[in-house]
Amino acid sequence: MLDWTSTPFIVIVVLGVVGLAIPVYDALRKERGEKKNKLYSIISVAALIVTIFIVIARVLSGDVIAGMDFSKDSITDDMFGSFFAIALLIVSIMVTASSWNYLRGITASASYYSLILLSTIGMVLIAYSTDFVTLFIAWELMSIPTYALAAYAKRDPISNEAALKYFMFGALSSSIIVLAIGLTYGLTGTTNIGESIKELSSLDSGQFPVLILTVALFVAGFGFKMGIVPFHMWLPDTYEGAPTTIGALLAAGTKKAGFAAAIRIIIIGMFALQLDWSIALSILAIITMTVGNLGAIMQKSVPRILAYSSIAQAGYILIGLAIAPYSDIGLSGSLFHIMNHAVMKSAAFIAVAGIAIALASYSLEKYRGLGRRMPFTAIALTISLLALAGVPPLNGFWSKLVIFESAIDSGTQVPWGSHLAIAGVLNSALSLAYYAWIIRKIYMEESEDMRPVKEPKAIKAVLAFTIIFIVGFGIWHAPIYDFAKSSVPLFIGKSDTSIVITPTTQENNDGKPSLGKISTDTTLHFQSTKTVLTTT
Amino acid sequence: MISATGIEGIAIWGWLVWILPFVGAAIIPLVSKKGNRIRDYTAVAFALMSALSAASLLSITFAGDEVHSQISWISSLGIKAGVLLDPMSVIMTNLVAWISFLIIVYSVGYLHGDRDLARYWFFMLFFIGSMQLIVLSDNLLMVFFGWEGVGLASYALIGYWYRDRKQDYVGKEGHYAGKIAMWASPTHAGIKAFLQTRAADTMMLAGMFLIFMHSGTFGFKELVDNQAWAETMAQNNLLIPAAILLFGGAIGKSAQFPFNEWLLEAMTGPTSVSALIHAATMVKAGVFLVARIAPLFFALDALDTEAFFIVVAWVGGITAFLLASQALVNPEIKKVLAYSTGSQIGYMMMALGIAGVSTNFADGYTAGFFHMMSHAMFKASLFMGAGAVLHAIGSRFMTDMGGLRKDMRKTFIFMSISALSLAGAPLVTSGFWSKDAVFASLLESNNPTGIALFGLAFAVAIMTAFYTFRMIGMVFFGNKSKHIQELEEKDHHIHEAPNIMWIPFAILAVATIAIGVVGFLFEEQIHTVLSNYLLKSFGIGQDNEATGHGSTDVNDGGLNPIAVAASVIAFGVGGGLGYLFYIARKFDPNIISKSLTLSKIWSFLYNRWYLNSLLYWGSVEIPLRVYRIIWTYFESIVMEGISPLLQHTVSGLSRVVKSAQTGLTQIYLFVFAVGIMIMLLLMYLF
Repeated sequence: MLDWTSTPFIVIVVLGVVGLAIPVYDALRKERGEKKNKLYSIISVAALIVTIFIVIARVLSGDVIAGMDFSKDSITDDMFGSFFAIALLIVSIMVTASSWNYLRGITASASYYSLILLSTIGMVLIAYSTDFVTLFIAWELMSIPTYALAAYAKRDPISNEAALKYFMFGALSSSIIVLAIGLTYGLTGTTNIGESIKELSSLDSGQFPVLILTVALFVAGFGFKMGIVPFHMWLPDTYEGAPTTIGALLAAGTKKAGFAAAIRIIIIGMFALQLDWSIALSILAIITMTVGNLGAIMQKSVPRILAYSSIAQAGYILIGLAIAPYSDIGLSGSLFHIMNHAVMKSAAFIAVAGIAIALASYSLEKYRGLGRRMPFTAIALTISLLALAGVPPLNGFWSKLVIFESAIDSGTQVPWGSHLAIAGVLNSALSLAYYAWIIRKIYMEESEDMRPVKEPKAIKAVLAFTIIFIVGFGIWHAPIYDFAKSSVPLFIGKSDTSIVITPTTQENNDGKPSLGKISTDTTLHFQSTKTVLTTT
Repeated sequence: MISATGIEGIAIWGWLVWILPFVGAAIIPLVSKKGNRIRDYTAVAFALMSALSAASLLSITFAGDEVHSQISWISSLGIKAGVLLDPMSVIMTNLVAWISFLIIVYSVGYLHGDRDLARYWFFMLFFIGSMQLIVLSDNLLMVFFGWEGVGLASYALIGYWYRDRKQDYVGKEGHYAGKIAMWASPTHAGIKAFLQTRAADTMMLAGMFLIFMHSGTFGFKELVDNQAWAETMAQNNLLIPAAILLFGGAIGKSAQFPFNEWLLEAMTGPTSVSALIHAATMVKAGVFLVARIAPLFFALDALDTEAFFIVVAWVGGITAFLLASQALVNPEIKKVLAYSTGSQIGYMMMALGIAGVSTNFADGYTAGFFHMMSHAMFKASLFMGAGAVLHAIGSRFMTDMGGLRKDMRKTFIFMSISALSLAGAPLVTSGFWSKDAVFASLLESNNPTGIALFGLAFAVAIMTAFYTFRMIGMVFFGNKSKHIQELEEKDHHIHEAPNIMWIPFAILAVATIAIGVVGFLFEEQIHTVLSNYLLKSFGIGQDNEATGHGSTDVNDGGLNPIAVAASVIAFGVGGGLGYLFYIARKFDPNIISKSLTLSKIWSFLYNRWYLNSLLYWGSVEIPLRVYRIIWTYFESIVMEGISPLLQHTVSGLSRVVKSAQTGLTQIYLFVFAVGIMIMLLLMYLF
């Protein structure tokens, strides 16, 4: 049961109140300039930190439903949502904190912070939604502020172009999602995700073509945000053109919200439908990784390299989704990588933002000799790039390891499982070509001007946090991995005759069999092509 | 036995012992900007806190408890991290912590004014932390992390003076053996140490994974509790190879034959580093690893692991003899001490190895462990004393010293005490008792190997006493050398070491005597503690006639008269000769140059049995020649052809992707639409 103390409500209330209060306060007070920027930054960061502590406290208190819950309400309070909420809030905190430096000189900072906070509410709500309508509203709440944020450098034509492309594709994908939701409603007569899955599982086989169309539309609609090839074309232009801190928010934040929606609806939901999307997603995963990595090579602008790299990373995450039915660690691997990638990628973007403040350039050529000009930022960027490349013992290594492990694991049931792992490993090697290229520029080459440059303070503080996170959770990754594992339902086996979503017992869960629940007391149990729902 | 699953109670201190030095290392670069004093004292403070944490664990030893604390670590592979606090590891961790602390204090004086001490403190603390990780961790994987940390820190510290000034070299310049240069710069020495120990680490890694493959765990406790893995491995004839591979890692770290060569060049580091490497960290890691795994392999019921122990014992025996003989002729003070370390560790390996084939495992085990303790103390003291001498003289050659006993009175006294302990002066030094224990364990093993090794060990003891007296004689007795006279002419007076330097090694020198005076009782005490540990944790010592291991023939602990006599005789013969030649100076040591045979032996020993030359020919010179052939006939033709192909393929593909990114929105939308079609197609097809 949901009440006013459940996590999503607290998030809405805290962030909503602060997010709306900032512009109101700004309209009442007339003084301008730097001071207000700092004030709003501090208030926003404080609100976000309070929120993240509440979310963590609720997870630790054990009041949150373990695993993934499909409540009959429109919003639930489960571990899956909390996992994403924490990842997304970390990103928002990093972005708002570093904006203190980045926004210097921009006067209308009130709306900037307000929009980030509102967008954050949207992202978090997506992860908690159990109803298509709520999900769609959250989706829009997340997207619309980011359209404005992408265009925030309003005199900069590149920023405007970025925002326009982003908006056009956003509108397109929103309409595709609405279409998919409409089709689902037409087939089932309900907008509740859990209910409609139940209905769909007893669907007449004559309606399967419509169902396939629905799934394809969902993949396309969410795939736009996730940055999956071929729905990725807008992404490099937008990430590059938008203000770099917003690039971090898009690459690390909204992208992950896309995954949250995709996992809840496509992976868990449609899993019940006897449709085998595994091969389709595997192919998309391989294409996505390869295109992303190939695109990043030989680019001259660093944010563009990072944009392509985030396409490639989406491909790795997609591996876990694709083989979810065949390996019980596939989804947890994906979630694990989502959390890690959120931090690594926003660290890289924020370091780039710091360098842009100091050097007024995004060009890779300007990064020569940076190791001595901006030592701290350079080392933080290097660490995050190495983590993205998956170099042990940094955190990115472990989550990639789990994903590839799960792919190999699934190889006993599906022949392409190990191929996925091989493709992933080869792509990791390929990705080093551009990550190492940047590091080489930073440390091995010298520029004409080797004078030290002042490093922005707030950005340094954020980067210090990311170094601790990346190295710390690289050495000891158990907390995040265990959290990820307790946030997803466990799949056990899929053969021609049966698919079973089974409850699992976690060590820290007093053996409560609560994972993988479709309403509160039923367990999905599918047998043969004719699916049967059994109640336990 | 207490077994905790979390971090609670006394286990917290066990974690802190190894975490604190790492934290200190991380803090050093930050505080070094605040000033030199605060930087130095931060290092001292962290070493002290770690040592105090170690001391708070001592109750475990006295109570004979075992505390095992685990947390989940690499949970994706089901691997746990943990500390295993038992009497053995607690004694060891205290030894490491307190000796390291004294060395850290000593280095404040020794390296005063050196230009980049932040790097020094960072790696010293990192070194200590890694070593404590090896000592306290409950599984092989964490041991391996510490192992590699030790390797990295040793590399960085041996090559600490990376500017390669001539005064920091080791070896005599211009000395060739078998066409290989026998002198080395600090950076060269660092790389040599790193590569040689790395080769050994690879063996260890192979051994670890062989065991993991069959047991599914790295944990020491788990390996003891469920021994099914050992049976499978024994059936596949893999058990002994895996054990020997693990031992390979120990050989490398402890500089045992055939991985002994790095230790001698490792003298390029600051003397405080040498003290740390030889007494507390690094070389003791190998012995400790053997002490950790030996009972494990011994306790495998119904499986014959004797071959492993025989290998350990012989490796120790050969090394002890090899390095002691080389120490007889070397002119550099630190190198003599380095040879001596390798040789003394040979004793420990002999004892630990012979334990596994003798009737009473605990005897040999205790002897090896006791010798490690006493050696750690007197060797640290000797190195710190040698550092004080080097500090005053500015030369590493003993021929440049001489007659220092008046100018450096305190250094002379305390170094002599420690040297007597190394030489095994009867009844009052810890070195005597621990060496005696090794002799006794060899004699009482009831095994032909033990008797053969006893002969070797006896010869080594004579040589040890001789080269120790030689060292003391050359440094402190006789006339002042030309070098010192020149220094004094330049008005550079030889000075005693400052308080912060001599007090640390004085403490250790006094400790060796204190232990020596109560020596036999002390040994008995350790014997009791360790026997109980072996009994409790491994069930060794229980009546177990069926296996032939751990028989009831428990030695009642009396002194072995033959062993005592041998120790005394060895000291008398070796020490007497050393006294006559170098202290009383009744004979001139140069007589050997008059005899052809003797001078041939001399140059054979001085050229280190040509092992170093062999190593360089085998691993550097010949591979280089082969490499040049490969380069000319393969790389430059085949690979140069392939790699542009690969490069062009990737950059061509990259161009394809880039050319699709036109920036035109209509094309993007078209691709999006095509994407939906493809998706539909894929779903229909599969």
